Amino acid sequence: MSNTVLFAILLLAPLIGFLFNGLRWKSHNAYLAGTVATVAAGISFLCSVVLVSKLFGEGAVPAVSAKFYEWMAIGGFNVTAGFVIDHISAIMVLVVTGVGTLIHLFSIGYMSHDERPSKYFAYLNLFLFNMLLLILGENLLLMFVGWEGVGLCSYLLIGFWFSDSEKAAAGMKAFITNRIGDAGFLLGIFTIFFLFGTVNFQEIIGRVSGVPDLTWTGPVTLACLFLFIGATGKSAQIPLYVWLPDAMAGPTPVSALIHAATMVTAGVYMICRLNPLFLMAPNVLNVIAIIGAATAVMAATIGLTQWDIKKVLAYSTVSQLGYMFLACGVGAFGAAMFHLMTHAFFKALMFLGSGSVIHAMEGEQDIRKMGHLKKYLPITHATFFIGWVAIIGMPPFAGFFSKDEILWKAFTSPHGHILLWLAGVIGAVCTAFYMTRLMALTFWGKSRVPESVHPHESPPSMSIPLIILAVLSVVGGWIGIPHALGAILPGHPGNWLEHWLHGVILEPAAHGAHPSATLELALMGVSVSLAALSALLAYNFYVTNPERPAQFVSKIRGLYELVYNKYFVDEFYFARIINPLIDASKGMWAYIDVNFIDKTTYAVSDVVRGMGSAAKSFQNGNLQQYAMYIALGVAVTMFLILR
Amino acid sequence: MPILDGALKVGLDHYLYLSAVLFVLGMIGVMMRRNVVVILMCIELMLNAVNISFVAFSRYAENVNGQVMVFFVMTIAAAEAAVGLALAVTVFKKFREVNIRFFEHLKG
Amino acid sequence: MLTSTDFLFYVLAFISVFFGAAVVIARNPIYSAMSLVITMISVAFLFGALDAWFLAGVQLIVYAGAVTVLFVMVLMLFDLKHEMKTFSKGLLGNGVKLIASGVTLGMLLVYIWSTYATEPTFKPLPPAATSSIKATKDLATSLFTDYIFAFEAIGALLLIIAVGAVTLSRITGGTHHADS
Repeated sequence: MSNTVLFAILLLAPLIGFLFNGLRWKSHNAYLAGTVATVAAGISFLCSVVLVSKLFGEGAVPAVSAKFYEWMAIGGFNVTAGFVIDHISAIMVLVVTGVGTLIHLFSIGYMSHDERPSKYFAYLNLFLFNMLLLILGENLLLMFVGWEGVGLCSYLLIGFWFSDSEKAAAGMKAFITNRIGDAGFLLGIFTIFFLFGTVNFQEIIGRVSGVPDLTWTGPVTLACLFLFIGATGKSAQIPLYVWLPDAMAGPTPVSALIHAATMVTAGVYMICRLNPLFLMAPNVLNVIAIIGAATAVMAATIGLTQWDIKKVLAYSTVSQLGYMFLACGVGAFGAAMFHLMTHAFFKALMFLGSGSVIHAMEGEQDIRKMGHLKKYLPITHATFFIGWVAIIGMPPFAGFFSKDEILWKAFTSPHGHILLWLAGVIGAVCTAFYMTRLMALTFWGKSRVPESVHPHESPPSMSIPLIILAVLSVVGGWIGIPHALGAILPGHPGNWLEHWLHGVILEPAAHGAHPSATLELALMGVSVSLAALSALLAYNFYVTNPERPAQFVSKIRGLYELVYNKYFVDEFYFARIINPLIDASKGMWAYIDVNFIDKTTYAVSDVVRGMGSAAKSFQNGNLQQYAMYIALGVAVTMFLILR
Repeated sequence: MPILDGALKVGLDHYLYLSAVLFVLGMIGVMMRRNVVVILMCIELMLNAVNISFVAFSRYAENVNGQVMVFFVMTIAAAEAAVGLALAVTVFKKFREVNIRFFEHLKG
Repeated sequence: MLTSTDFLFYVLAFISVFFGAAVVIARNPIYSAMSLVITMISVAFLFGALDAWFLAGVQLIVYAGAVTVLFVMVLMLFDLKHEMKTFSKGLLGNGVKLIASGVTLGMLLVYIWSTYATEPTFKPLPPAATSSIKATKDLATSLFTDYIFAFEAIGALLLIIAVGAVTLSRITGGTHHADS
């Protein structure tokens, strides 16, 4: 099959699934709806595998693409509805369709008792379609269409159980927060078009000048800054991260798919896509690195204190996204993509695992009411365990390689700094702690499960995706084994990922001496051992001595309250931004709208009404008055003719 | 007085003067009388005035087309009087009066 | 010198204008109707003076006879001896109406004077044409050849009018469904 046909099937399969399920959205048949949706996602996955395989082996091409039609041509502004799979989007498309398919499969079991499964799967397919638009679009405008589309689906799915006003509000919050970022993204697109006269990625990259823009207000810097604002919205970075924890109101597979594995990484993907442009704006890179590191640490510390299993994972996601941005910020775009991929595996795994737990606990999400679940949920426990060791960065699991790649780059890159590395390590230590805490409170220790709940293992349709993702979480990191480690391992495995991304992702020009492999190994050892110590400490806290956390907390009550309340960021936003905005809007309404705009319209309507009644008096039904008009007309006409 | 003599000598213009005067008289009546029946009479008066000029022109041009037109006008006038009076009767039945103002009710 | 025909014209013109004004002014509708009859009769004579003998006859029969009788009968039916008010209300409206009528009249008179006063008057017709039979025959020929279609259409119209008038008279009153 030609590339065009494959691309068409790849994109249209989820859309058709959406239409199929969307048109029968009232149906209660979760199995039919789920099967259709899963098959649609699976077809997309197969197509993307076939397409990506063309990038390999003999006669490999740097990119496969398909142009469907010219979308718009306005003067010099030409946009084609074209799609492309190159070495960057190949990773992303495989992750999205692959993990997406697994999550669709998982959803069949998870949503089997829901009232509107058809609607749910329709949204899920629509999300997949939009995500594919975002990933595969060959220009920023197509990406923006997908960007908005996934935002919409995210909103719909967060508020899927909209009869609960809190959940509906969470959806609204996500949507509105994203709008702020989207505005930035749009401004970025405008700036880029202004700069380069095109929105096509290939052409933009081809036209980037080789001279870095060292100012703060230069066009390249501004464009990158705007794009990064868009990325902070979609990828939940400071200051726009507040929506992601609330987004956990949606069904858990949605959290796994949209708010962990795929959509929230769109910002990282976009920055990696435009990496030659960002490299020319070192100031923006610094901003990205600092914000990424700050987000990583801040979210990780909040994660230490949360009691909701999904909230912990949500803050963990924010934190891991911070790592990706840290990687982007130090110019290690390859490491960002690597972590994006491994994170998609293990975070999707953990979310699905938490979904399995919640399903088993009949909707309970508070980890204080769990404990010792490994007895009831062996498969979930085993897979969750793998996700746990992956995320805390234990070798040889996936998270280890990607996270250490980032930390190493943060240390050695010309854009890096030792403080960034330190922030990364602190984040890793916190991650190890809260993840161990989560494991301990959920699966280990004494059971605190209420008598009324009888946990049970999930059906195969839910455990199979868990197992597959667990395997991926183990082996996913092996494609990017660092040289320093590969040199001492048997068989000397190379850094395949670096080779793969070579050419599409530029490395910042290194200066000074080449860092030694010994240093790399030493740093690796430091971060791993610190994380392991932290995990052990957490194990000690929550399993061996369950009373110790409370004692510890009572000593640092103030700090704990601050962190437990998420640094009062939401309250701050409400007090300083949202409420003043509401007050200002009310003021506008009361004074400007009512007193000025309304009165103007009233005046206009009065004038029109007055003119109307004046005209009406000519048409009053009085026949003799009509006769008078005729006579007047005759008189005037005759006067004009005979004058 | 040849000028006066010429002016007094009845020609086409005299008939037209007469026609104009009668027409305007009828017009005033139509516009100012209250009684529907009288208004209908005034319309007849106007039609008659027009008929005079038709016949005068017909005589002046020495062909009968003007007279044919008068024939039609008369027919229409009779028809109009019939309908108008029927309407007047209807209005009278309702309001016991034939003031033209009651025809305002005919508007939608 | 005035000929007898001219003299007759002035007399008839005076009568018709006088009684035409009476139609408009008379307070009693019956007087209006009677004045209208007189006006129509004088107009009929004027037709005769213009050698339109057939039309003069029709004028007498149709107008002075049928139509005016219809008016009088309707007035009898209404039994309106005297109107409370002859003219419509509205000082401004009436003023405008009078001014418009006056302007129209003035314009017409000036136009007729400027266009036709210098024209030669009616040529005497050849003796054969003055005979009423010949004139009537000409009219009939024209009516039944050149204007046959209009003539038939007028016949159909009269039929429709007859039916319509009867239907209207049968309505008990009221102009809206809710009223009746």
